[in-house]
Amino acid sequence: MKFFSELTKGIIKENPIFVIVLGMCPTLAVSTSVDNALGMGLAATFVLICSNMMISLIKGIVPAQIRIPIYVVVIAAFVSIIDMAMEAYLPDLHKALGIFIPLIVVNCIILGRAEAFASKNNVLNSMADGLGMGLGFTLSLTVVATIREILGNGTWLKMQVLPSTYDPMLVAILAPGAFITLGLLMAVMNIIKEKN
Amino acid sequence: MKLYLKLGFILLVVSVIATGILAYVNSITAPQIEALKQEEAIKSREELIPDSIFEEVEVSPDFSYFIARNKDTEEIQGYTFIASQKGYSNNVKTMAGVSPDFKLLGIKVVEQSETPGLGANCTASTFTDQFQGKISEDLMADKDGGKIKSLSGATITTRAIASSLKQAIQALEQDVVAKQEVQQ
Amino acid sequence: MGYLGEIFVMAITAIFIQNFVLSRFLGLCPYLGVSKKIDSAFGMGMAVIFVMTLTSSITYLINRYLLTGMMYLQTIAFILTIAALVQFVEMVIQKKAPALYKSLGVYLPLITTNCAVLGVAILNTTALRQDGITPYNFLDSTLNGFFSGVGFTVVLLAMAGIRMRLELVNLPKSMKGMPIALILAGIMALAFYGFMGFKI
Repeated sequence: MKFFSELTKGIIKENPIFVIVLGMCPTLAVSTSVDNALGMGLAATFVLICSNMMISLIKGIVPAQIRIPIYVVVIAAFVSIIDMAMEAYLPDLHKALGIFIPLIVVNCIILGRAEAFASKNNVLNSMADGLGMGLGFTLSLTVVATIREILGNGTWLKMQVLPSTYDPMLVAILAPGAFITLGLLMAVMNIIKEKN
Repeated sequence: MKLYLKLGFILLVVSVIATGILAYVNSITAPQIEALKQEEAIKSREELIPDSIFEEVEVSPDFSYFIARNKDTEEIQGYTFIASQKGYSNNVKTMAGVSPDFKLLGIKVVEQSETPGLGANCTASTFTDQFQGKISEDLMADKDGGKIKSLSGATITTRAIASSLKQAIQALEQDVVAKQEVQQ
Repeated sequence: MGYLGEIFVMAITAIFIQNFVLSRFLGLCPYLGVSKKIDSAFGMGMAVIFVMTLTSSITYLINRYLLTGMMYLQTIAFILTIAALVQFVEMVIQKKAPALYKSLGVYLPLITTNCAVLGVAILNTTALRQDGITPYNFLDSTLNGFFSGVGFTVVLLAMAGIRMRLELVNLPKSMKGMPIALILAGIMALAFYGFMGFKI
């Protein structure tokens, strides 16, 4: 039962992006298209599950003073692994995500979960937490990317959804569009929360 | 002091383990990545000039090109090369094929990290197709008096591609002509 | 254009044209998190400039001399460098300049997870000078780190200034806090797009 609630809380109630407001950089930078968003979300989810598992496993042995550097090393190792695996097996996605793959290391969600959850809970729950948070992250990323890709390019997952006569609202794909889309989405989330 | 040594030692051990794992993963993925890159380069070359065998000629450490000969007749079909120049955010690398009289047969942007929505559109065929049949004199953005229609909002990217191709074609022409003279 | 011109172009590029926060999307967490008051924004900005400059020069050396042929260790080596550097800087400042520590101290640990710092270190390894061929040398990397930090601080301070005034404005309840800050950031980014395509 606990396992299940740890899994679902990250998706809505404690959604890392909309509610806790962490991991903004990748959210805004790679949400230009839905396939990028999915790739980034899944890569981060993988790292989250693995690092949460690892940190929960070693939580007893790590001295408190140097726990942050050790967490960072663990996270960086998993990020490097997924970086290399992506380059070898998914080269197009790797090219599109570019510098934001190594930057998963400093994605505050991952270190945040390691410190706030995995270092205090058992392995199974930590993995559930990682999976839930990762999915929540992927979901929010995809929502932002959906809006931006449809408005800014008239496509969704590279498929034409708006008639080709639609003149793309370029600003949605550019940096300002990212900020404004996310800002409005958060306002909508606030309204929903108030209503409940 | 003793505590710090102990902490340092633990951190060192963790780092060494991590490094070991990474080295192992790298040894598996590195050949795959290398092979993938080679394969992609060969595929792009064949797309530009089909049915040929390619022979590499190195002009300088920065510039080399491939001579494409027909598979059967061994006649020179054209040349391919990679041109690169700094665009808006970083280098834009373009692979191009030219005919024996140095007219562009086609181009393909192989590496770029330009702004999505603006400069990144340089990979689209609506942009690259216009390069077909152009000679080095045409290779300038329309704003600068050339015949290349700029991408909207990305003149710098257009300029980078056009001028890198122009320079590369000139370097290629120079080298090919020089070698022909030596042969005669 | 001599080397001074090169530096000038680098500064303008890092601060305005390709601002780390508004056009590269790096360092957003502190940009949104520490921009509620000008004082704290200033402290954070100074700490970031300091750490970014140091990181840029040290990671340049590591990348150039230690990591040759072992590029796959780049991420882990850089992040460890940053973590160690931040810790070290914190200890030194605490001992030598307690007054400075009082104003900067709280921001230093936050910098380890500031992606702008790791970002500048990684970008420096592939960055090229204006001519498009020469890779950055030691001095270029250090200066680029410094100017990128300045760029971060400039927009952080601007944001803090606006947000302080925003406190007095009557907003719809759902827009308060983060949503309006993000929309502001969007408008600011739009303004910074005016610098785009600037030819220097």
